[in-house]
Amino acid sequence: MTQQPGRRDPWRRFRARLRGSFRPRAVATAPVPALRPSAIQVAPPRIAGSLMRLALAVAIAYGALAAGLGYWQVLEANKLSSDPLNPLVLVAARQAPRGTIYDRNGNVLARNVGTEDDRQRSYPYLAAAPVVGYRSDIFGAAGLERTYDAQLTGLVTLRPGDELLRKFRDQPYNPSDLYTSLDIDLQQAAFDLLGDQRGAVVAIEPTTGRVLALASNPTYNPNRVVDPDAGRDYVAALREREDSPLLNRATQGLYVPGSVFKIVTAVAGLGSAAIGPETTYENQPEEYDTGFLVDGFRVRDSRRGVQTDHPLNFYEATEVSSNIWYAHAGLDIGADNLVAWASRFGFGDRIPFELATSPSQVNGGDGPLAGFQDRVELANAAYGQAEVLVTPLQMALVASTIANDGLMMKPKLVDELRASDGSVTRLDAQGWSQVIDPGRAQAVGNAMQLAVEGPFGSEFAGAAKVPGVPTAGKSGTAQLGGEAAPHSWFIGYAPADAPLIAIAVIVEGGGAGAQRAVPMAGRLMSNYLGVAR
Amino acid sequence: MIAMRRALFSVGIRPHLRWRELGLLTIVALTLVVGWASLQSFRSGQLEMGEASLLFTYLLAIFVIHTAFVITGRRMDEILFPTAAMLAGISLLLMERLPQDLVTQQILGRELGLADVQLAWTLLGFTVLAATAILVRSDGWLRRYKYTWAALGIGLLLLVFVFGEVTGGARLTLVIGPISGQPSELLKVILVVFLAGYLAENRSLLSSASTRVGPFRLPPLPYLLPMLALWGLALAIVIVQRDLGAALLYFLVFLGLLYVATRRASYVVLGLLLFLAGSAVLYLAFPHVQDRVDIWLNPFTDPQGAGYQVIRALYAYGRGGVLGTGLGAGLPQVGSVPSIPAIHTDFIFAALAEEMGMLGALGVLGLYVLIAQRGFRIAATAADDFRALLATGLTLVIVVQAAIIAGGNLRVVPLTGITLPFVSYGGSSLLVNGAVIGLLLALSDRGVEPPPPDQRTSMSSRIGRRARRAGGRLEEALS
Repeated sequence: MTQQPGRRDPWRRFRARLRGSFRPRAVATAPVPALRPSAIQVAPPRIAGSLMRLALAVAIAYGALAAGLGYWQVLEANKLSSDPLNPLVLVAARQAPRGTIYDRNGNVLARNVGTEDDRQRSYPYLAAAPVVGYRSDIFGAAGLERTYDAQLTGLVTLRPGDELLRKFRDQPYNPSDLYTSLDIDLQQAAFDLLGDQRGAVVAIEPTTGRVLALASNPTYNPNRVVDPDAGRDYVAALREREDSPLLNRATQGLYVPGSVFKIVTAVAGLGSAAIGPETTYENQPEEYDTGFLVDGFRVRDSRRGVQTDHPLNFYEATEVSSNIWYAHAGLDIGADNLVAWASRFGFGDRIPFELATSPSQVNGGDGPLAGFQDRVELANAAYGQAEVLVTPLQMALVASTIANDGLMMKPKLVDELRASDGSVTRLDAQGWSQVIDPGRAQAVGNAMQLAVEGPFGSEFAGAAKVPGVPTAGKSGTAQLGGEAAPHSWFIGYAPADAPLIAIAVIVEGGGAGAQRAVPMAGRLMSNYLGVAR
Repeated sequence: MIAMRRALFSVGIRPHLRWRELGLLTIVALTLVVGWASLQSFRSGQLEMGEASLLFTYLLAIFVIHTAFVITGRRMDEILFPTAAMLAGISLLLMERLPQDLVTQQILGRELGLADVQLAWTLLGFTVLAATAILVRSDGWLRRYKYTWAALGIGLLLLVFVFGEVTGGARLTLVIGPISGQPSELLKVILVVFLAGYLAENRSLLSSASTRVGPFRLPPLPYLLPMLALWGLALAIVIVQRDLGAALLYFLVFLGLLYVATRRASYVVLGLLLFLAGSAVLYLAFPHVQDRVDIWLNPFTDPQGAGYQVIRALYAYGRGGVLGTGLGAGLPQVGSVPSIPAIHTDFIFAALAEEMGMLGALGVLGLYVLIAQRGFRIAATAADDFRALLATGLTLVIVVQAAIIAGGNLRVVPLTGITLPFVSYGGSSLLVNGAVIGLLLALSDRGVEPPPPDQRTSMSSRIGRRARRAGGRLEEALS
């Protein structure tokens, strides 16, 4: 039934072949089979045409494979080669001496000890542990030892094209020494002041984003972690401890900020022009006694006896740290603006940094008002309560940004890599974002200076003052609800007119800001600026 | 010389020189010698060839095959064989370079390691290649008995259920006495022969539309039934045997052939929709399919467990970079543990990309593209539909298979275990792919016997016609 007359005819077939390869042999005159009344038999298409398209499909598939090769072998190659799980890293770690890590003054933070066959890491300063981390054959690596593992072992340098030529070098490994911006004296002072209190200190050079100190207490002894014999027991014990010494509180600890968050609210308000420096709220003086009623919730100011005779403006409200004023401001600013301006500081994302960071948040994220559940949450968040959670690094960046006229620098630890072949790679300071224009940043800065040096502000935060040096800052007392003692916070910078250091200090359960964090920050900034107290 | 020529002429053989093939084989030989020297010099630290009998045995073999082609005087394609010889040569370099104890076999009281065994299989595979290319002078035996071939292939596959050996969760290897092999490799060629024969016969019907289902115009059901039934059976068996790579290969080759035969984009779209539906069913029905897809999407969720193999391969790419570490300088094992499980079979492409770099891997991909170009060219100039479709199918078998495993290695598609033709370790694969190239060479010969004027008196097509009639009655009854 499928037979066509033409197929039986050798002469037609021969002529068809003469006309060109495989032209139709089926002919349209075949009787239409009864069971397919609609079918009209037509000549099948030439094969050569469809072959071209098939070839095109094959070409596209192989193009995708070539793109895959390029992706893994060019774009992702460095990342893959420095992954600590890569066996290459383990082999290189055994074969090549690892680079040394220095602080800003040339003090050695990590070095090799032992013989060539039994090489081991040694960490002279225990205080550097939250920054430097460790490198162990058993537990892998943490801190800068992890981030720069490939450069320290010499698998990867940061110079473009260097990997391309590796196969032509005699010595396949080219370990680099790390030169960091850490000031080990300041770091040690931060640990001394924290003592046995849990907490964290982050100090940053505002104009460059270079991290000067990054302390997290309690911490661990990296020399015991890398000990091949006792390391396992030690780490197991560390993991058991309920005060989490392995957690880097400075970059990954999430804390309620309390009043130090008012600086973020101020930036959102001034930046979006929802408030101005002279903004006042009529009812605020009397609400000092009654509380400010927001949809059934009363916002209260705890401190009495100051500034009840007239409505406060922005400077005064910041100096006395008025929750009521900031709750009003928060509602004026609105949920969208507050979230948007906070995200300009990096809230909501992991801060790109050489150590692992946790994202800070302004709200729980699941409410209808840009993540806020209602106006009550928004009003409370505006002065740093409700669901606001921040890392100390994030708050140090906030202070540092105000100090640097609104330009936020990318935080960084490593200044320079010097490879064993003599080549030097500089990692320059990078601007991250202009969070707010310089004029408004200075207004916020002025308010922060009042909060430390003003007649009322000095009551709370005066202890942060560096003697003889204009100092700006903001203290915070983060209520945790219930009977728990509040976290004690301070963020600030000095000198206020030409900042050299910005700082964030938190003491967990340390009580009011004035009690713990404020004097610690004063001592640390004074130390760093070389001012005796 | 002249006397010899005359002697050959007297038995009907006219030698024909193949200069292009000779030149290309010389380039292949020089490249492999340089590669071997590079490997041995890296090992010993000084410039030397080391113990090179393995390499020279191989080079001797490919020139002997070339001479055989010349003497028998067949006017075949001169590029396909050097391409295959290059791929197999690269494979030998890699096998020589990998730890030899990955595979050991006792033969005649001697213990052979990975490279020796691979050389033995390569020589056997190339013997099959040469024999097929020289001896096949007619395709009647293929086109006439397509149902018989298909039945044999499927029977062989079914035997795996009885005499099969389970490796890596999949029942792939047929073991009968001392002989073992993977029938799914052989079946891919048999399926191509069957599909080419069937499609060539029914091409005009299949490309003229009749039934409309939604936006798709379908050919009459009875004309598809025998083909779909056989192909579906093969597909079902390999899926049950967990040979997902073979299943994917069968499917893509079928789709490619169907398109070439009919030039109907709607078939391809329909096929892809069926593929998506089928994949969804497989994904929901089989945990091992889910695992494959999950590993493909997120290997780093379990870097020491499920994602281990894939991640280790990615590291290999990273180590290789653009120029590669150089032969011997990569890291196929740490201590005594291979850095990638199955590095000599499923992951040979990663080993290659590590030591030869992106450029080397691109070169190998280019060799497969070259095979595609030659194969499609042979198809486009073939004497009739059957030969054209057969050449297309044979080309696709090699090219698509290489793309499936390279794509799996590169995380472009989910990983399915299948060999990289001519490069992966494995006997069945080398023998069958040798036969595939051999057939392509035979098809490329303009002097091959012309296609038979008619083929529909054969037993098998009578059976097929009856099946179609039965299907037709079925459709009539349904409508």
